[in-house]
Amino acid sequence: MDISELKRQSDLSYDTAIAKRNALEKAHSRQVVVYKEHIFKADPHTICLVETLKKNNDKFFVLDNNSNPVEITDPDKFLNLLIARNQESLNAYHQIYKTFHKRGE
Amino acid sequence: MSKGILLFCFDTETSKYHKILRRCVNLIRKNLKLPITLVTDLATFHKIGDIGNVNYKLITPEQGNKKDAKPWLNVDRHLAYELSPYDTTMVMDIDYFAFTDNLRQFVDTGYDFLVSRQAHNMTFTDQPPRDRFGMIDMVWATILIFNRSPKSKLIFDTVKYVKKHYYHFTQLYRITARNFRNDYAFAIALQQVNGFVDYEVLPMKLHTLMPQCEILKIDDSGLVWRHDNKVMYTVDQDVHVLNKEVANV
Repeated sequence: MDISELKRQSDLSYDTAIAKRNALEKAHSRQVVVYKEHIFKADPHTICLVETLKKNNDKFFVLDNNSNPVEITDPDKFLNLLIARNQESLNAYHQIYKTFHKRGE
Repeated sequence: MSKGILLFCFDTETSKYHKILRRCVNLIRKNLKLPITLVTDLATFHKIGDIGNVNYKLITPEQGNKKDAKPWLNVDRHLAYELSPYDTTMVMDIDYFAFTDNLRQFVDTGYDFLVSRQAHNMTFTDQPPRDRFGMIDMVWATILIFNRSPKSKLIFDTVKYVKKHYYHFTQLYRITARNFRNDYAFAIALQQVNGFVDYEVLPMKLHTLMPQCEILKIDDSGLVWRHDNKVMYTVDQDVHVLNKEVANV
């Protein structure tokens, strides 16, 4: 067994794990959005909730990140904001993710 | 409604905080685009030089606090409510580098007072930033956002009270550290004001590079650091740098 190769691979995996963890936290920070003076997370849960509620309602209520109720009067605007921020953050994460593979080459 | 950022900067015998300040101010201008008020002392003011349009408040900082046996002029944060000229204020540590505009939106909320309760250790290794100390959750007074409401004033008044009777409160909450930390004082004040139950927080982690991280390079987009013989970098990510040697990079 080539111990040096094992160490190289182990170090690479460790470095990648740190970089991945930081990139993910960076994405999570970017997904925090303020709308109508309240704070939300542009995560799949919130996006799916708003998408579902807006199918049959022009106005509805959701909870912000501190569990306060907020009336959403313009669902399309809110949903667009959530999706834009979610995809912006994941696109940035994807760019970093692509570099993980290059590290091993 | 005026909105702006309040910074505290006092040089000590061992740390040239005014050098860190210059980077902090540049990044605020680039990414947060909010007016800045700087609380400093006369000696530091003369070293700062030209940093553009900044509103200055000169005070005499309270002495006596130490960190790692070195002078630490951090105990004036409770004056933020009185010193801020803004209706909504963001207090920021000068070693918090805003490489993004993420924080900008939080001055537009309807909350009276916001502070983060979590930090993210960017090195993944030893000494994770502690989110809990003694008997209550810790807050990170690195970033504070507050308005002019009676509740905000009560929080700051309570911080003053906690500071005045700090030894008593460290015993009460079984805090082992003996130096004064704003993180503890604000955590205690928030718990007291909010009736000893949970309270509203800034729902994001403060990304933190621990003091063991050596900052190798820093520019307008991000920074490079070395820790445990590994060199890492980040761009477009806000970072709280605890190693004060960043002043010399």
